[in-house]
Amino acid sequence: MTLKYLIQKEFLQIRRNAFLPRLIIVFPIMVMCVLPWIMNQEVKNIVVDVVDNDRSALSQRLVHDIEASKYFIFNGQKANYEQALQEVQQSLADIILVIPRHYSRDLVAGRQPQVLIAANAVNGTKGAMGSAYLSQIVTSHSNPSVAAIQSRLQTLNLYNKHQNYKLYMIPALLAIVMMLLCGFLPALNIVGEKESGTIEQINVTPVSKWSFILAKLIPYWIIALFVIVVCLLLSWLVYGITCQGPVALVFVLAMLLALFWSSFGLVISNYSDTMQQAIFVMWFFVVMMLLLSGLFTPARSMPDWAYATTYVNPMHYFIDAIRTVFIRGGGLSSILHQLAALAGIGLLMATWAIASYKKNS
Amino acid sequence: MKSIEVEHITKTYNRVTALDDVSFSVDKGEVFGLIGPDGAGKTTMFRILCTLLPADSGTATVDGLDTASQLTAIRSRVGYMPGKFSLYQDLTVRENLEFFATLFGTTVDEGYDSIRAIYSQIERFEGRRAGALSGGMKQKLALSCALVHSPSVLFLDEPTTGVDPVSRKEFWDMLTMLKERDITIVASTPYLDEVRRCERVAFLDHGVVRGIDTPEVILDRFADIFNPPGIARENQTEADSGNVIEVSHLVKAFGTFHAVDDISFTVKRGEIFGFLGANGAGKTTAMHMLTGLNQPTSGTGTVAGYDIRTQHELIKRHIGYMSQRFSLYEDLTVAENIRLFAGIYGMSDGEIARKTDEVLERLQFSEHKNDLVASLPLGWKQKLAFTVSIFHEPSVVFLDEPTGGVDPATRRQFWELIYDAAQRGITVFVTTHYMDEAEYCDRISIMVDGKIKAMGTPDELKREFNQPDMDHVFTHLARQAVRSSD
Amino acid sequence: MKQFLSFVQKEARHILRDKRTMLILFGMPVVMMLIFGFAITNDVRNVRTLVVTAHNDHATQQAIDRLAASQYFVIVGAVATPAEAELQIRNQKADLAIIFGRDFASKQSGLQMMVDGSDPNMAQQWTNYATQTILNPSASPVNMKMLYNPQMRSAYNFVPAIMGMLLMLVCAMMTSISIVREKERGTMEVLLVSPVRPLMMIVAKAVPYLVLAFGILVIILVMARYVMDVPLAGSLFWIVVISLIYILLALSLGLLISSVAQTQLVALLLSAMVLLMPIVMLSGMLFPIESMPRVLQWVSAVIPPRYYIAAMRKLMIMGVGIGDVLREVGILVAMTVALLALALVKFNNRLE
Repeated sequence: MTLKYLIQKEFLQIRRNAFLPRLIIVFPIMVMCVLPWIMNQEVKNIVVDVVDNDRSALSQRLVHDIEASKYFIFNGQKANYEQALQEVQQSLADIILVIPRHYSRDLVAGRQPQVLIAANAVNGTKGAMGSAYLSQIVTSHSNPSVAAIQSRLQTLNLYNKHQNYKLYMIPALLAIVMMLLCGFLPALNIVGEKESGTIEQINVTPVSKWSFILAKLIPYWIIALFVIVVCLLLSWLVYGITCQGPVALVFVLAMLLALFWSSFGLVISNYSDTMQQAIFVMWFFVVMMLLLSGLFTPARSMPDWAYATTYVNPMHYFIDAIRTVFIRGGGLSSILHQLAALAGIGLLMATWAIASYKKNS
Repeated sequence: MKSIEVEHITKTYNRVTALDDVSFSVDKGEVFGLIGPDGAGKTTMFRILCTLLPADSGTATVDGLDTASQLTAIRSRVGYMPGKFSLYQDLTVRENLEFFATLFGTTVDEGYDSIRAIYSQIERFEGRRAGALSGGMKQKLALSCALVHSPSVLFLDEPTTGVDPVSRKEFWDMLTMLKERDITIVASTPYLDEVRRCERVAFLDHGVVRGIDTPEVILDRFADIFNPPGIARENQTEADSGNVIEVSHLVKAFGTFHAVDDISFTVKRGEIFGFLGANGAGKTTAMHMLTGLNQPTSGTGTVAGYDIRTQHELIKRHIGYMSQRFSLYEDLTVAENIRLFAGIYGMSDGEIARKTDEVLERLQFSEHKNDLVASLPLGWKQKLAFTVSIFHEPSVVFLDEPTGGVDPATRRQFWELIYDAAQRGITVFVTTHYMDEAEYCDRISIMVDGKIKAMGTPDELKREFNQPDMDHVFTHLARQAVRSSD
Repeated sequence: MKQFLSFVQKEARHILRDKRTMLILFGMPVVMMLIFGFAITNDVRNVRTLVVTAHNDHATQQAIDRLAASQYFVIVGAVATPAEAELQIRNQKADLAIIFGRDFASKQSGLQMMVDGSDPNMAQQWTNYATQTILNPSASPVNMKMLYNPQMRSAYNFVPAIMGMLLMLVCAMMTSISIVREKERGTMEVLLVSPVRPLMMIVAKAVPYLVLAFGILVIILVMARYVMDVPLAGSLFWIVVISLIYILLALSLGLLISSVAQTQLVALLLSAMVLLMPIVMLSGMLFPIESMPRVLQWVSAVIPPRYYIAAMRKLMIMGVGIGDVLREVGILVAMTVALLALALVKFNNRLE
């Protein structure tokens, strides 16, 4: 039972470190308490400049409708388009609405007046969403028949009735914490022993490869378990968000992800000569996997070549599955193939971690 | 004329006093030794003189310049080689040397004469990266880098740790040459033969100067510390119970280079076998093959009855190993380190607890059982590392330069431990650069250029080569070396 | 001068010899540009759509055809009841279900949509697009104009952000680690005792990283222009000048970290905690600052990349003149001066 002694050693080393215990406890709490407020893609507070060339009762009503909308901040009337554009250039305004001359007369006469919406589209999402909201207001104002259809058109937002962006992000945060804690710490571990020379002492003992690697992995799994509990508790206490599906599945998924990241970290550690190298290589893979996981933007919007990479990206399977369980309330049958893929990739990595550790050259 | 004047220097780190009212002076062109046990405050003294640390009180001047206020002026006229001088591992030998030469405002060609004796030994490997050199080779390169310029004062903090006796002699010959150019040299060293080559030495102990005089006087006055009586093995058991290590025609080649070139030898059970050789003769490589860290290129060997080619993991069950680099976990306590390694060898909890107490009791170390290893002085760390390596009662223990950089009294205590282990039937396979230690071995082999050039008891070797002591035997053999590399 | 050159050469060798780190340093901008330029997009594309209908009359069929023909939607099947559709959405087989009522043909009403609302933004966009496509309003009263980014490419938004992040990382992280490594390995003691002035040593250390950062800047700009078709509308001169100010700022930050940290590990973690996380999260790179709570907006006000990224977005994409980014540039210059002064004061001529 050499495993027991090795695991004990790993824990003692983590505990003795001046920095790690604090990191392990503070990091998940920080992430859960701060990030949901930051990772908010909600589009609101769009600043609108209006150039009203009509100045009629009807056009005033349109302006009032915009002022009343929760999405917009009315920034006042501008004399002309150029003046408004100047404000956009200085980032004082995001969208310009130009109401044409004779807007009211044309509307009454049944002709279609052309309203111009010019949006700053450097940030594509903001530009698109803002102009879409604004054009809805304009359309329903100028075209009552369309407005009538739209008012009768019912849209049912499943799973996230209050359109709460935090609900969407919180399960994904679990993936980020797991990746940073269970990925980076193991990546520094073996390479650290190489730099301090203790690995040589271990290599002349009869300890077997798998028990050495396993002893390095298990502490991170226990940390992962702690992280899951903290994240679930905080999301309930701070945001009142709870898991819709079976909680056991969240644990299974997260542990499989921890298996992948901790093994992956050790693989990188095994191949690296210095800590700097390990960190850089790890960072490269982390950024790629994170961005291509569909955490921030929908995986299906990616071009085909990028979408193809999601088949080997464990983060994608995890994000997909955890959102299904946590938000949509899916059960085991909903995420079977993600589970299988995660387990497969995780075990492959663990095998590689053991195989790449060389006791004898 | 005085080159260095130190008056009432005191330095404290977090309430630990490193230097306590230290005063001494060094004449221009003098070779001055700073000696004392580990933790005496030698490195702190060097750093204060080099303007790297400010003193708490007292004054120190170098060439008449104040170390507290005239940093730049001092730095432009002194040379310093710190104890843990480390080269740029990813630069080649030549690049390292060139960089340091430019740094000191000179060129390799200009300074070549002052480093010829040592640098010529590693010159063949100019294109190799410093990281790929063996420990002693690195030290030689570091020496070359430190000596390539001719400063007015040269500070050397244990410059020859891990360097073989022949190269150490050459190094000190070079220092003597520098002296002729009126360069002041302040050096610290744990080697007695080097102490004797200084003109005057200051003996520091726990931050206090215990005496300043010629080496003879100091060594004589503190003989109990510097020259402990030799130890003799009590009732030596006749080692006839068979061979524990058998090696035949072992070769390890890196490309066309044969680091270990066809060596054969046997070691008997219970024997203390000294494995000697110059830096880069192939000792560490050979040891790595015997301990299963490396695969031999050709040849066969058995350790504790197991084949080193195929059964290396079985060998590891039956041996202990203490590497050149200190390698216990610094962030674990004494007891935790023992527990970890004992656990790895499959000892039970109860057995470990009982034996830990027993062993620490014997070492008179019980009160430090729960101290972090990082907080121990070097000598204790090494004793502890040895204790851990034989804790599971292996058949053979391999010690790779176990006493590097340790003062004579501690080394003697260390050898008592080795004798104690041998007494219990553990075979000891040890490398060392201290020739007094070579005399303690039952049998020794001397490796030159990857081959074993001599083997026998110390007395046999002295007779065979007609030399008065092991130091001369070694010098005689090592001077024949053609190559000087690892 | 010779010493200076030899220092630069030594530092350059350290960088060049570590092949893996080099590969990452130059591979990173390329890969990030490709990912951000093409893969990270909020475009409405490939929305898996379910049709829920009991009758398949002409009007329904026409609506379905319109959906199928659009580039936004993929019809993945038809089911009979909303409950079945919900199950499919839950199992992630579909994103959107369009439920045609019995009287859809006659009254153009009785149309319902059921959408996977997990991601509220995308849900909103999907339903907007679907409504537009199905209703096909004959003439829109609105004339839309997307300023600066008519094709709505996310690359426009991300290129300045990638520049802000990579330049900071290379300059600050790499310099701090390389200085701390010398401390850790003991070579710093020799360098300090040598006649070389410490300030020159630091400048010499910074030069290769400056060149490296500049190389990365050029790669990003060239890729942005020729691979991603980002216009580089503003003055190239000012883009480079402001980038150089920013690089200087990053180098001072790296120097500051190196005077605080004693080991490489601490330097690494400090860079990751103090630099990487805030840059990614709070600089407005991925998440708009104006959507954050007030307190976090204040925090983001002290993060240098925020101003660099903002200035670059205006200069590069919107093509405004230097006059419109004076505020950002002013703040960057002030931060650079403050950090550099602090770093030089903190820089230690001695060991403690």
